[in-house]
Amino acid sequence: MLEVKGLVAGYAGSEVLHGIDLVVNDAEGVIVLGPNGHGKTTLLRAITGLLPPRAGQVLFDGKDITRWRPDVIAAAGVVHIPQGDLLFPEMSVFENLLMGAYHGPTWSGRKARLERVYELFPWLKERGGQLARSLSGGERRMLALARGLMSQAKILLIDEPSLGLAPLTTQQIYASIRTVKEGGMSLLLADENANHVAGLADRVYLLETGMLVREGPAQELLHDKALLESYLG
Amino acid sequence: MSVRAAAPTAIARPAVDQAAAPWRRVSLIAVAGTVLAGIALPWVLTRLDIGDYLITLLILFFMQAVVAQSWNLIMGYGGIYSFAQVALFAVGGWTTAVLASSLGWNPFVAILFSPVIAMIAAIGIGLPTLRLRGVYVVLLTLAFHELARVFTVTGPRFISGGGYGLVSVPTFQFGDVIGERRTIYLYYLAMVIFAIASFVIWRVIHSPLGVAVTALRDSETYAVSRGINQFRVRLILFAISAFFTGLAGGYMTHYNGGISTSVFDFPRLIDLLAMIVIGGWGTFAGPILGAGIIIGLDQYLVAIGDYRALFEGLILAGIAVFAPQGLWPLIRKTYDKYLGPEPPPPPVQADQPIAAAGAADGGG
Amino acid sequence: MHDTQIVQAVWGGVLFGSVYGLMALGLTLVWGAVRLLNLAHGAIFVVGAYAAYWVVSSLHQPILVALPVGVAAAAAFAYVMHLVFIRPVLGKPGFDNSTLVATVGISISVSAAALLIFNPEYKVVPPVLSGSTIVAGVQITYQGLLVIVTSLALFAIVYLFLTYTRHGMAIRAVSQQMEAASLMSIPVVQTYGLVIAISGALAGLAGVLLSPSFFLNPQSGFNPMIQALIVTIFGGLGSIRGALVAGFVLGVFESFVEVFYGVAWAQPGVFILIIVMLIVRPNGLFGIGEVKRL
Repeated sequence: MLEVKGLVAGYAGSEVLHGIDLVVNDAEGVIVLGPNGHGKTTLLRAITGLLPPRAGQVLFDGKDITRWRPDVIAAAGVVHIPQGDLLFPEMSVFENLLMGAYHGPTWSGRKARLERVYELFPWLKERGGQLARSLSGGERRMLALARGLMSQAKILLIDEPSLGLAPLTTQQIYASIRTVKEGGMSLLLADENANHVAGLADRVYLLETGMLVREGPAQELLHDKALLESYLG
Repeated sequence: MSVRAAAPTAIARPAVDQAAAPWRRVSLIAVAGTVLAGIALPWVLTRLDIGDYLITLLILFFMQAVVAQSWNLIMGYGGIYSFAQVALFAVGGWTTAVLASSLGWNPFVAILFSPVIAMIAAIGIGLPTLRLRGVYVVLLTLAFHELARVFTVTGPRFISGGGYGLVSVPTFQFGDVIGERRTIYLYYLAMVIFAIASFVIWRVIHSPLGVAVTALRDSETYAVSRGINQFRVRLILFAISAFFTGLAGGYMTHYNGGISTSVFDFPRLIDLLAMIVIGGWGTFAGPILGAGIIIGLDQYLVAIGDYRALFEGLILAGIAVFAPQGLWPLIRKTYDKYLGPEPPPPPVQADQPIAAAGAADGGG
Repeated sequence: MHDTQIVQAVWGGVLFGSVYGLMALGLTLVWGAVRLLNLAHGAIFVVGAYAAYWVVSSLHQPILVALPVGVAAAAAFAYVMHLVFIRPVLGKPGFDNSTLVATVGISISVSAAALLIFNPEYKVVPPVLSGSTIVAGVQITYQGLLVIVTSLALFAIVYLFLTYTRHGMAIRAVSQQMEAASLMSIPVVQTYGLVIAISGALAGLAGVLLSPSFFLNPQSGFNPMIQALIVTIFGGLGSIRGALVAGFVLGVFESFVEVFYGVAWAQPGVFILIIVMLIVRPNGLFGIGEVKRL
């Protein structure tokens, strides 16, 4: 469904990704594991159009989306839940959720989507009027995830879902992601530690200084403690 | 640094850093040549029929260039969107007008107060204004512009002249000299003012103050974290800018023999803005070039009348969006590419090992 | 203090307030959404007024036909301005500089073009509602009432649009967190264009409704521009509520100063109030300062 070929990307003066090849198939959960600073966020940003790639291709459902604008990519079904949440601070929880469903056809089905999201995180319904900027770290993460789920996503790209969260919230977040995946959603998850992703992952890539150094089925890689330790520390 | 020098000597001398000594970059010959040309010019021009007219144009050019440079100092280098420049020009002009016509002072003495009062006014405007973010500065300075204008129209008689401005202000008198000679003396006076202003502004730009101001403009938080007092630096810049603007205002008052509220007219403000934008925003020579262009072209554009404003506006908008750096940097680049001196050769790579003694000190 | 004077001052205040608010609404909307200080706002106002004038005088249509034409012309002009002069510099570091100078240049061009197309003579734009009535010795014009009603209605409409509609919320989203908005499939650049067009329509409407009360000439845009700027900053850049409240506060203030101290003091009085406000509380009445990014 999502194919990345030879992706090269970076910021002014430096190259961060040196040619990435990866694939996410339908209903697959793919994890990109890597220490901080090695290009996970850059990879997701390059795929979803926030950062124009310098070389390479990104294909989605057979279409070449490499040079597409981020809003067009999102409309096509590639939805990015970014690091840092990037909520709309002066809008309420409810409004943030609605914005997730901005896309035309999605908008008409927003009520049903809201119900599904409320099932996952009931507090969103109770505190719908609260301004996003007054939420705690864990609540923001849940809202960001829920907002992404309101959309027309066929594949979700999630950047470090547990970054900075307390253990209980972390569990909640991964549990919700697992629920979503079990519903058939394709996932590309960028993460720094392998602890919680076992239930979601079908395949794993290891990313090191901008290059993918290993790939394999989740059972293999995630349980190879020695490998993970030497690699992730 | 040649290969020959690198090989045997153990001491490596650092190359002279061209950027560190900006005055060394300006060719003394070029400056001296320009100055001599400026001095000789009027004598040459008076031989021509339209000579007198051209000298008048040059005087206008000198004064506009001073104001444009001063405004560019705070807008281009300082990044402060002040629209009070014209008001400060007026303050300078009115100061000397009042001193000369109401108190009967000699213009040469009265004019000395123009820059001082303008500077005081600038500090007065700057104190509330320079604390605010860019957008608010526009408004506050426009408000001062309006207040000044209203004051000169409805103020006490010795200032407003009954709403018509001050119309019989004594002009510069150089002994008994009249006619052509007098025009030439007026020219020299204007040229001296221009030269002094340009020199001071050039020095300020290349001084620690100038560096501080551009640092503030480009990255305020970083500059402040390095200890630059943003408020004080901006205020000083504002005062310097007002000094020369006021002086120019004073000169024009005695040159014209009067000053009226038409100095506040928007088209004049726009002309000044155009000089800076078209010439080169934030460069030293830009406003001078811009002043030359606007004043030079103006004479031709009179023929097309009202289309002038239309073109000026469109060109202003077009350059701001599509060529924001202005003409001067473009000219500079073309010059460097085709006529400039060859760039210094890249440092020589020493692939073969230097003599053992030389290698021991780490290769420099 | 005569009863008539108070009624005059109040009527003037409400009328001025509505006018100021109407002018400021478009300006504050654009600032809030695009962070653009649109100094061509007054020019767009004039475009609307002259377009309506042209429809009435050259096409011999009634003012009710000319009104929507004026609004549409202003909106279209604003949108073209966005395409040519704003869009190319969106997101670039020199955005503030470029747009400041560009909008000033456009203002000059518009007044020059108006001078060339029409001439410097004052033009008369007919009011939508003519006639007046006398209340407590004060002349209340029907056009004035229309202006007040329209202004308040527009504030309500814009507020409802921004709060409850999909596109209105998208405009707010884009202004608060641009990247996230594009990740929600909101087309950012088009949204900017939409806001600029809406603000143009508002300026054009103001132009058509207000020009009957003065003589329309090519310089007519400058005063409304300054007034809009003052009210917008007084109320707090980007705040709709601020524009409304500030409009009325300044309108009432100016009206009372005018009635009780004379016309000569009205404008300077307002200026001094502005200066005081900017020193004491630069963010304006409802300004929120920099919006924090989450």
